[in-house]
Amino acid sequence: MTTANKAVLLTGDSPLYAELHHLLIDRGYTVLSFEDATSAPQTVSLAVEVNSLNLEAKKQQLCDLDQLLAADVPIITTSLAITATEAASWTEHPERVCGFGTLVPLAERELIEIAPALQTEEPAIAAAVSLFRSLDKETEIVVDEVGLVFPRILSLIINEAAFALMEKAATPQDIDTAMKKGTNYPYGPLEWADRIGLDEIYAISRGLQRDFAEERYRTAPLLRKLVLAKRVGVRSGQGFYHYGSKEECEK
Amino acid sequence: METKTVGVIGAGTMGAGIALVCGRKGHHVKLLDANQAVLDKAQSYLQSILSKDVEKGKINEQQKTDTLERMKLVSDMEQLADCDIVIEAVPERLDLKKTIFGELSRICKSDALLLTNTSSISITEIAGGLPHPERILGFHFFNPAPVMPLVEVIRGKKSSEDNVEQAYRFAEQLGKVPVLVTDTPGFIVNRIARPYYNEALRILGDNVAKVEQIDRIMKQAGGFKMGPFELQDMIGIDINFATTQSVYSDFFHEGRFKPSRIQQRMVQAGSLGRKTGEGFYDYSK
Ligand SMILES: NC(=O)c1ccc[n+]([C@@H]2O[C@H](COP(=O)([O-])OP(=O)(O)OC[C@H]3O[C@@H](n4cnc5c(N)ncnc54)[C@H](O)[C@@H]3O)[C@@H](O)[C@H]2O)c1
Repeated sequence: MTTANKAVLLTGDSPLYAELHHLLIDRGYTVLSFEDATSAPQTVSLAVEVNSLNLEAKKQQLCDLDQLLAADVPIITTSLAITATEAASWTEHPERVCGFGTLVPLAERELIEIAPALQTEEPAIAAAVSLFRSLDKETEIVVDEVGLVFPRILSLIINEAAFALMEKAATPQDIDTAMKKGTNYPYGPLEWADRIGLDEIYAISRGLQRDFAEERYRTAPLLRKLVLAKRVGVRSGQGFYHYGSKEECEK
Repeated sequence: METKTVGVIGAGTMGAGIALVCGRKGHHVKLLDANQAVLDKAQSYLQSILSKDVEKGKINEQQKTDTLERMKLVSDMEQLADCDIVIEAVPERLDLKKTIFGELSRICKSDALLLTNTSSISITEIAGGLPHPERILGFHFFNPAPVMPLVEVIRGKKSSEDNVEQAYRFAEQLGKVPVLVTDTPGFIVNRIARPYYNEALRILGDNVAKVEQIDRIMKQAGGFKMGPFELQDMIGIDINFATTQSVYSDFFHEGRFKPSRIQQRMVQAGSLGRKTGEGFYDYSK
């Protein structure tokens, strides 16, 4: 697929931003920031918005995109912390808003989930599918709920590991070892969370709790506190583990 | 490495595998079962696995003979009197386990380590009221025991540090990877893995995605080796449901562990997965 003149407007502050930026450029897209696009909005063929933790910013940026871009330009938004339906409801052209969700690192994701909002119309879904196909990802279309499938299930596993750690049922190392050696997980849940970003996991957990209002989705207090303390994992040098010294980084 | 005399109680799926693990490492093993037919089956299992070890060149014929020589099949608890370590692997019933640990407390040396392979019963409850509860610990292998590297070493409320350390070292000597865990419901693995099944079931029940989709997503997006539904079919949906129920009830009905009605209906219908030819997938074709 040739993507030479395709400009994608990418905005947001989730850990996905940097990786998507890199991947889009690598596949020949021109990537614009919101500021870049304000002078020539007609060059933008698609917008991708990736805020998870800060929902105020998400709302503001989606409204700005909705104002800036012609009504037929699709806006693809992460539906990790809220439903795509809610995100679309903020805009004047909700039919062009489509949800998606995945977690970093993208190199490990063969497949990306797409969640059309109740309001989404076909062209926006097709645009989301072809965007991810052009990045060599397979796609699966699921019904719109917070966290989709993989991010939702993994965030609950990590949340449970955080509860177990908070209770001092075992050390972080033993929790991770147990899940890898006892049930073949590709990574231990705590080291996995540190690589994804605890902020992203917390955003999903909080979103599930907010939308379903069930004890089932209660966030582990330790997870929330680590995020408040800005210990979001590898990115910040500390999360469930420390990444200060070299040996610890190699964990 | 110090050679020990290890008793294994229950020669079923787990016990026979655990005995093999111990025998291969040079320990003297006494494998006990209440059922003679099970003992006969265990004997031929050990012979056939060790013969395969010879074929693969892992050991020679003499080593096989020596290993089998060191492994005795017994049917009387009194024969465990000289064991340094006993690992219990009888069915998952508190009354059975309590009786066995009561007997062991009477029969074994006062410093023998008494270990249970329970997947879900509280170690503290098994040891409660017995003399020398400090030497009763959880020692949880994963199925198949000769293949899966993990052993959860579970510290009961009265287990002593010294014995915990001994059990940990013993697991290492068996070539396993031990982890230490306090006596909490589901220990580590069976607790933290609950959402993998339960949330997949919830997502299915809420019609967010279909069985095949969820399995595909967890493998291709998540990098898991098996999807949650394929895995339930392999484990047995009844076994998986029972584990969830037990963790849920031991957490005093904490909402995070609430079992799934979909899973309950499958158990009620006898659709238990591969072993019945039908579960979330159809295996009859
Ligand atoms: N199967 C698994 O995947 C698995 C994994 C980890 C832990 N466990 C735990 O291991 C234990 C055993 O499970 P299993 O799957 O091997 O069961 P199993 O039914 O295959 O074997 C149990 C054996 O114990 C024998 N037995 C029963 N009562 C006895 C008694 N009073 N004295 C001596 N022998 C007696 C039975 O004859 C049977 O052969 C359970 O506590 C289970 O929770 C099982």
